[in-house]
Amino acid sequence: GQGLSRGDPMALSPGQGWSCRAVLGEGHQRTVRRVAWSPCGSYLASASFDATTCIWKRHEDDFQCITTLEGHENEVKSVAWAPSGTLLATCSRDKSVWVWEVDEEEEYECVSVLNSHTQDVKHVVWHPNQELLASASYDDTVKLYQEEEDDWVCCATLEGHESTVWSVAFDRSGERLASCSDDKTVRVWRRYKPGNEEGVACSDNEPTWKCVCTLSGYHTRTIYDVAWCHLTGALATACGDDAIRVFEESATGDPRQPTFALAAHDSAGPAVTLHCSASVLSTSVEAEPSRKKRPRVSFSRHMSLMARAVFPVSFLE
Amino acid sequence: MASPFSGVLQLTDLDDYIGPSQECIKPVKVEKKPGKAAAKIRIEADGSYFQINQDGGAQKLEKAKITLNDCLACSGCITSAESVLITQQSHEELCRMLAFNKTAAPTEQKLVVVSVSPQSRASLAAKCKMGVLETAKKLTAFLKSLGKCVHYVFDTTFSRNFSLLESQREFVKRFRKQAEDQKALPMLASACPGWICYVEKTHGSFIIPYISTAKSPQQVMGSLVKGYFAEQQHLTPAQIYHVSVMPCYDKKLEASRPDFFSQEYQTRDVDCVITTGEVLKLLEQEGVSLSDVNPAPLDTMFGSAAEEELTSHAGGGSGGYLEHVYRHAAKELFGIQVDTIHYKPLKNKDFQEVTLEKDGVVLLQFASAYGFRNIQNLMQKLKRGKSPYHYVEVMACPSGCLNGGGQIKLDGESSKDQLQHVERLYESLKTEIPEKNWTVNELYERWLGGAESGRAAEALHTQYHAVEKSSAGFNIKW
Repeated sequence: GQGLSRGDPMALSPGQGWSCRAVLGEGHQRTVRRVAWSPCGSYLASASFDATTCIWKRHEDDFQCITTLEGHENEVKSVAWAPSGTLLATCSRDKSVWVWEVDEEEEYECVSVLNSHTQDVKHVVWHPNQELLASASYDDTVKLYQEEEDDWVCCATLEGHESTVWSVAFDRSGERLASCSDDKTVRVWRRYKPGNEEGVACSDNEPTWKCVCTLSGYHTRTIYDVAWCHLTGALATACGDDAIRVFEESATGDPRQPTFALAAHDSAGPAVTLHCSASVLSTSVEAEPSRKKRPRVSFSRHMSLMARAVFPVSFLE
Repeated sequence: MASPFSGVLQLTDLDDYIGPSQECIKPVKVEKKPGKAAAKIRIEADGSYFQINQDGGAQKLEKAKITLNDCLACSGCITSAESVLITQQSHEELCRMLAFNKTAAPTEQKLVVVSVSPQSRASLAAKCKMGVLETAKKLTAFLKSLGKCVHYVFDTTFSRNFSLLESQREFVKRFRKQAEDQKALPMLASACPGWICYVEKTHGSFIIPYISTAKSPQQVMGSLVKGYFAEQQHLTPAQIYHVSVMPCYDKKLEASRPDFFSQEYQTRDVDCVITTGEVLKLLEQEGVSLSDVNPAPLDTMFGSAAEEELTSHAGGGSGGYLEHVYRHAAKELFGIQVDTIHYKPLKNKDFQEVTLEKDGVVLLQFASAYGFRNIQNLMQKLKRGKSPYHYVEVMACPSGCLNGGGQIKLDGESSKDQLQHVERLYESLKTEIPEKNWTVNELYERWLGGAESGRAAEALHTQYHAVEKSSAGFNIKW
């Protein structure tokens, strides 16, 4: 019973609206760890344990591998496209984060190799509207990067988690970031710009990020993924205890100390179902249980095409 | 501990976590005797192992030994071998050697020679707020005062002449045979050990043929000191302890390459490499401020009156390979005399192009690529057959050797300002053309027997070895 429960208007099951359009079997030699669609929807990047990242160009249902990004020393854990569509980020167990640039001739070049983390980097995510990159690592930190002169630099390190940070997600505005960890908490961080009215100190005239909320006590195992709905502001987490949880921000909360309450929680054995509340009707929330019991969650505005890989499931935004 | 190696070298074989299956895979040769019964092992009180044979006889078992060089050559487990090597080659090691020398019997004593790189000198000059000539003289005096055992202090600018000349000659040869040899061009510079080690471990036999075989100034100095100089001093190479002062830690790995170890004399060409920062530590240890030291005359390898003038080479703080190869090639291949070289910056300041054009035709296309990201892009272009260059000066460190990991960090200045400061000092010297150096020519003629001789090839060229990667599938971490 891996299916989603029938009868629920929001739940979809395989065979009811989903059909496999393509299988990209000739690209990688090992586990494909993550896939990501380019903002324009014409390209798919696949990150693999074989240390490479393939870029596939889509012509309707046909996919061609147009290039393979090499350079990481070992397993690539994540790949993400910047909103501009010209930058791509990858991260790996080799502790580095790479930024790549693509030109009009579909030529990819490495623009920067960032060695800020001291351990395996699990995930990279771009800011929704700025060229700011976030990474999550086994070294218990989240790091942020931006371009400075002709190179990329680590401009902030978010410390606080007590164990591996598995994933990060920006809210719609990009002023807040949520991180989830092996320490079973979700932390919400807020960016304070220099000269902010709250009086938060900023060094070197650079914004500073402070943890404004910690969600603890809700999860009983490692939290592997977190997503922040850009439509409703709800937070969803995927946890090693087989549950997906949705948190909603309290309307009366102080922006400096927001509070989130558990909105929906369902863990019905191996089949994970999520029943959505009315407030998220315009979005779809889809979770696919994996054999490793680490479901991945992400919100999307529309789902015209879905990519499936061995592990995560991701959607076109 | 943050690794002090260049970013390029750091990126290979990284993982501080040793998985249970990541054991040493270095095969150790064992003499196996045919026999069926399982051997019994007895451990003695002193920890040695004895194998008890069926007939009761005991055989002492040899300890499996892995040398540091074995570790460096393998990419099996972790690279702590490299960190062990650093401690083997630190300024502490030098002090130990000097202390030993002081009390050793005359037959056991070694002649201590220190070769200082111009980049280290410029960094020290910036730190101690002096000019480079003054720094050189005072450094000479300081080093000679260490345990009263340092006998000579040389400048690797001298040996760099050979590296440049050999690179120039090699390029012209390769250019002329590019029709027959697919891997003749592009020729890639060989002076940077961070770059060399990276290629050997990551790209191996694909890229190695493109790399120039010319030795780096450090290793040419090694050949000169343990070869020519030893002969002049009537000593065997093993009776000289050769120290070099370098701007980075990767040079320590270069000195310990088996290719630079003489089997015949059981001695390394360079025995110990210390960084500029380690020289500073030595100064602090001795409670000496370099600017207060009384200057000593500079040494020269050649017995004649000490040269009071320091010289340098044109073409930047990493040795000037691109410029020298370019000028020589333009002259030799096309009869063109180049005066000023125009650099065209590409994607970033560490990737620049130089083009020789005549009547709209591109004759030579050279580039300098510093730092890991540029090396990456160069490698990818090469692998896809899309590299337009004839020669590339590759260096592992962004901004080149003046910005090496072993250079002194100054307080109160931004790293950009510091670097510019060191660059100004480095470039404050008059530059000379290697072909015009009389002593260099003499050495080619008299000691090496000509530039094309076998002796020159042996003393001034080296080879590279691809490192086999062991693919351990056991260390997947989700």
